[in-house]
Amino acid sequence: MPAEALPTGVLRWMILGEWRAHPARVALGALAIAVGVALGFAVHLINTSALSEFSRAIAAVNGDADLQVRAVSARGFDEQLYPRVARLAGVAAVSPVVELTADLGGGPGDRLTLIGLDVLRAAAATPSLVGRGPAEVRFDEGSLFLSDAALRAGGHRVGDTVEVAAGGRPQPFRIVGDLPAAPDGQRIGVIDIAAAQWRFDRVGRLNRLDLKLAEGADPGAVRAAVSALLPPDAEIASPDSEVRQTDNLSRAYRVNLDMLALVALLTGAFLIYSAQSLSVARRRPQFALLQVLGADRRTILIQVLLESVAVGLLGAGLGLAIGLGLAQAALSLFGGDLGGGFFGNVRRPALTFSPGAAAVFGGLGLASALLGGLAPARQAVGAPPAVALKNLGDAVDPRRTPPLVPALGLLVAGALCALLPPVGGLPLFGYVSIALILGGGIAGVPWLARALLSPAQRLAPGAPSLRLALNRLWGAPSQAAVALCGIVASTSLMIAMAVMVTSFRSSVDDWLLQVFPADIYLTYRGDGDGFDEPVRRAMTAAPGVAGIAFLRTTSLRLSAERPPPALVARPDPGGSLPLVGGRASGPPPGLTPVWLSEPAARIYGHRPGDRLLLPLVDPATDKATTAFVMGVWRDYARQQGSIVLEQADYVRLTGDRLVNEAAVDLDPGAAPGAVVARLRAALPERLAGRTLITESRALRALSLRIFDRSFAITYLLEAIAILVGLAGVTATMSAQTLARIKEFGMLRHVGVLRRQIAAMLAAEGALLGAVGGVAGIGLGLAMSQVLIHVVNPQSFHWTMETHLPLSLFAGVAGALIGVSAIAALMTGRRAISQAAVDAVREDW
Amino acid sequence: MARWKPWAVAALTMFLVAAAPASPRYAEVRPGVALAFPADHGAHPDFRTEWWYVTGWLETGDGPPVGFQVTFFRSKTGSDPANPSAFAPRQVLFAHAAVSDARTGRLVHDQRIAREGFGLGTASRTDLDIVLDDWTMKRQADGRIRTKVQGSDFVLDLVLDSSQPVLLQGKGGYSRKGPAPSQASYYYSLPQLKVSGRIQRGRKAQAVTGQAWMDREWSSTLLDPSAVGWDWLGVNLADGSALMAFQIRDASGRPLWAGGTLRPANRPATSLGPDAVRFSTVRTWRSPRTRVTYPVERQLTVRLPGGERRWRVRPLFDDQELDSRAAGGPIYWEGAVTVEGGRGYLELTGYASPLKL
Amino acid sequence: MTSPLLSITSLSKSVPGGRVLFRGLDLALAPGEFVAVTGESGVGKSTLLNLVAGLDLPDSGTVTFDGVALGDLGEDGRTRLRRDRIGFVFQAFHVLPHLSLAQNVSLPLMLQRRPAREAADQGRRMLDLVGLGDRGDDYPNQLSGGELQRVAIARALVHRPALILADEPTGNLDAETAARVLDLFAAHVREAGAATLLVTHSKVAAACADRTVKLTPAGLVGNDAG
Repeated sequence: MPAEALPTGVLRWMILGEWRAHPARVALGALAIAVGVALGFAVHLINTSALSEFSRAIAAVNGDADLQVRAVSARGFDEQLYPRVARLAGVAAVSPVVELTADLGGGPGDRLTLIGLDVLRAAAATPSLVGRGPAEVRFDEGSLFLSDAALRAGGHRVGDTVEVAAGGRPQPFRIVGDLPAAPDGQRIGVIDIAAAQWRFDRVGRLNRLDLKLAEGADPGAVRAAVSALLPPDAEIASPDSEVRQTDNLSRAYRVNLDMLALVALLTGAFLIYSAQSLSVARRRPQFALLQVLGADRRTILIQVLLESVAVGLLGAGLGLAIGLGLAQAALSLFGGDLGGGFFGNVRRPALTFSPGAAAVFGGLGLASALLGGLAPARQAVGAPPAVALKNLGDAVDPRRTPPLVPALGLLVAGALCALLPPVGGLPLFGYVSIALILGGGIAGVPWLARALLSPAQRLAPGAPSLRLALNRLWGAPSQAAVALCGIVASTSLMIAMAVMVTSFRSSVDDWLLQVFPADIYLTYRGDGDGFDEPVRRAMTAAPGVAGIAFLRTTSLRLSAERPPPALVARPDPGGSLPLVGGRASGPPPGLTPVWLSEPAARIYGHRPGDRLLLPLVDPATDKATTAFVMGVWRDYARQQGSIVLEQADYVRLTGDRLVNEAAVDLDPGAAPGAVVARLRAALPERLAGRTLITESRALRALSLRIFDRSFAITYLLEAIAILVGLAGVTATMSAQTLARIKEFGMLRHVGVLRRQIAAMLAAEGALLGAVGGVAGIGLGLAMSQVLIHVVNPQSFHWTMETHLPLSLFAGVAGALIGVSAIAALMTGRRAISQAAVDAVREDW
Repeated sequence: MARWKPWAVAALTMFLVAAAPASPRYAEVRPGVALAFPADHGAHPDFRTEWWYVTGWLETGDGPPVGFQVTFFRSKTGSDPANPSAFAPRQVLFAHAAVSDARTGRLVHDQRIAREGFGLGTASRTDLDIVLDDWTMKRQADGRIRTKVQGSDFVLDLVLDSSQPVLLQGKGGYSRKGPAPSQASYYYSLPQLKVSGRIQRGRKAQAVTGQAWMDREWSSTLLDPSAVGWDWLGVNLADGSALMAFQIRDASGRPLWAGGTLRPANRPATSLGPDAVRFSTVRTWRSPRTRVTYPVERQLTVRLPGGERRWRVRPLFDDQELDSRAAGGPIYWEGAVTVEGGRGYLELTGYASPLKL
Repeated sequence: MTSPLLSITSLSKSVPGGRVLFRGLDLALAPGEFVAVTGESGVGKSTLLNLVAGLDLPDSGTVTFDGVALGDLGEDGRTRLRRDRIGFVFQAFHVLPHLSLAQNVSLPLMLQRRPAREAADQGRRMLDLVGLGDRGDDYPNQLSGGELQRVAIARALVHRPALILADEPTGNLDAETAARVLDLFAAHVREAGAATLLVTHSKVAAACADRTVKLTPAGLVGNDAG
């Protein structure tokens, strides 16, 4: 038992002594770990809270059905499916549902999920959707039950008569009761199913069947039996698949933040590695002495590892606390998607704490610390005590060229990983690739330092301070690497993120110019209404309007497991969309031409020239529509993908003549402001309040503002990462400087001026910073390409062109060189003091 | 007044459309209209409410007899006739079934309800043929009636064979319900039905035989406003006679209206007016669950042209109470009873709280 | 007697805590003279060397090198004096681990901004003289203690200093190695004609000197016989 040979008291004393001597280094390592843990934990908490809120919302609208049949598009499916499903064995009850997105009379944005149901069926299948109110008006076509949130949102009371618009039809309803079982915050309205079909022109169509299974029925068998009955425009969905879809949608943005968490954790690991390496190097005689005194190697290994564990625990604990606070703050400030808009019309969620996640992220922090501490711990017991007692610095022969093969191996492995496909929709290998490239880069730093410094060293400049600095960095490459690895890690990851974000932003900027070529855009910001024929005529006739293109945007469900892509109907898609890649000629006769956005093409695996079965029943053939992919276009607006149709095809397939967007070209010389006013005047009152009219310039600016806002947290975290990295390099440099005090004392003895030593240290710092900058930027560039060409396409399904933030590169390199030099100088003050002179003496 | 079953009350109130812009139009019950069969076995959707009401006794072969009741209701709502939706709730069908098992000493029951349409809820106008999800009642080609109902605790699959002609109640099927002439219904019965088929209680299925009584009634009118409840009795006497009697009570417990019919075997029926029927209480039973007291043992006195006749009505067992408050219905008592030389069903309503229509 | 290369007059020094190390110390070294200073541990031998090298200033008294009082030179002047005229040998060698042996030896020449090639050649020649001529490209971590001290001796002599200050140069070596290194040291300083002030508590080491003085808190106790 090693602890017998060396009482734990001695270990504790040594650890504490070490920390008391260098609190900043311990604190920095712990801080970096804390940042990583906090970030990862907070992102997880925010998303979990948001998802649970979202699933509550879904559950609220769906009631408590065991199984659901759902229409793939808002148009619904034929109601004759209902009796066929109802007669299946194992089905205890089926509640047919017409589901509409509606606008509740009142201010703009009072959106409502309007559910038309048969109360007699809902009572058995989804009792939570049954309203509370007088029984005798339940079947009245004019009765409406509203959830508390819907009542409050519009300031309505039971007994009021309100206007509800859906599908372009405003209709009066009397509020006869509420929905006590609707969860807090969910805006739901319930009307009779026959009223829904009649008043909103949905006769013959249903959007949902909510199934309650018979007791003891085999869900799998019922599922199979139901799916055998389904037409192309309906599909089976269990209520949790909608939550999963949203999870899919928000996954990509979480990936981004998790990436940053990874950055912080890796940086922390490298900082701990730096600190522990130095501390071990300095204490090597101490450890040798302990070994001579009878401590075995395991005791010492454990001691050094315990130091890392302690730092890791500190960082992880701090990180979890910060993460909790961060999540709470973010949820109350931005909502569950951090301003990303992925969770739709869901109220701000309450924080859901999960001990499991806390354990995982705390464990990750601890693991990072251990990882960072492992190599130094092995170093501590690696050297034989006799050699260690001599304390001669680098055990490696400076003449040996630092190995390049392991670094190259890691880099090549990283490049190969980048070629692998995503795993379960996540770019896991992309991240492995980034980690491998980072590891390879760090492993290659000694070689790179040697390669960069060799020419300078051969030049042998006259200034002794510069020559000494060069000689040292050239002769002690692994010490340089220890100082550099933290900064290279944080710089390269930060550069990678910055290049990716810059490229993304520039691409979005270009794209905005392409997709908003008109002068003025109108968007109806509701779900239940739009610009009908008379409104369109009035808009077209407004003076100053040269032309208007009307658009209709709805959604179409192609898969139960994925969020439904947008279905956009517009004139001349081929001529107006920003196409990327090739385009097919055609379409062959009988096929409907469609243009897929990049995400849609990637998610559903289609290329120009492919055929694609759309779950829209073609009235001509009474079968699902076969579409022909004409081209793929760039769309950064909809992660879930979008499918564009010719307007005429859309109307033919859906019968939906409503439009909810318009792009207006102005007459030459027309004043945009005046035309905006005239367009607004052309709108009827019910639409005017909910229609957004924007000049395209303002729209582009707004889009970029939103982009910047959603990446603001990224910028902030990047800044933190680089600051921690710089602090790390400062701490490492100062530690190394202090460890070299006898060297400075000797130099002072042999006639080196104080300022020459200072200059030497500054030169060393600047050179280190320069090497770190070159390595960090180079590595960052490589990793950015993985982010741009692998991680982004695999998680967001869109591509972008690389744009380099050159000024940022210059800034980062300059900051690195400057900060490193200044850090070296600051710690050098002690190096040129009397203490240095005294340090060479072994006696008074 | 015959079988204003509480369930019908509950169902009816649910489907009234009080605030409908066009007040619903219902057909009126008039005297002197001859009933025609088989069409009048089928539904009369222009009337506000209608029922097919079967009660009876079953011999299981291995235990004491059990009582059963199977009822289908139809209600016309005030739904806007212009609504083109197939879901428009023009007619609502409701069914209720119960089994009285003396061995368990209590009732088991279940129900179905749906708006008419999609073949999931239909009631034929041309003959008795009702489908309500998995519950059915149909007059077959051979004239026998088959009904199948499956509750969560029991299944009944019975064939009813009429051994006697249709018994028209009141004046040729026109039956007064209250003091006002407008308070009336079309009403006929099928007494002395021979029952065969199967019953399943829990997991145990067995063949059964027995006899039953079926009431058919349709109307658009409501109870008198001062009525709070009613007592109804239908009995198949062993000699082939059929006896029906009812009274409607006011808040003081006195009869507001009464009536009945006695048809001796193979002879014409005698219609009993309000003065010819009298219920008196022999014994009461107090429900331990609801603390409601019911007059479960009665003395029925009927004044016939040939003098008075009395029957002592005794329940198969006391606890045949139905508490349907969980489903929005009332508390009442309905169960199998015996009389001297006969078996029948007794219904007691309005004892917990006044029934309002 | 020629004028002394180094003369110490009435030198007093106390440690920061106030303890007096020595007081009123006098010593003179002629050019080429080899003097050994012995004394108990902690008596201030190394401090005396620092005062002589101008790395530390006395509480009172003067150190005069080649007729110039160190106190008048200023910090930079004293540093240049060390760089150009003084060589050091330390007990713990203090060889820079990241420089090759040749670079370590030529360090003083580099500091004098001699051309790199000339400095390297000179360094190799010095290494040759201390018997390590074929190891100029080796690094210190491959050397034994005795070899390291030979490198240090070469470094102390490479720029032909007038004065060598040696602080217990054999203190970290075993007796046999110490003897060989000491012989080498004595031979080379004499051959270079440099005056030497050797601080040691080793009688063997002191025996190499022309004369030995013993440092006590009361001052130097002479033993001129040497």
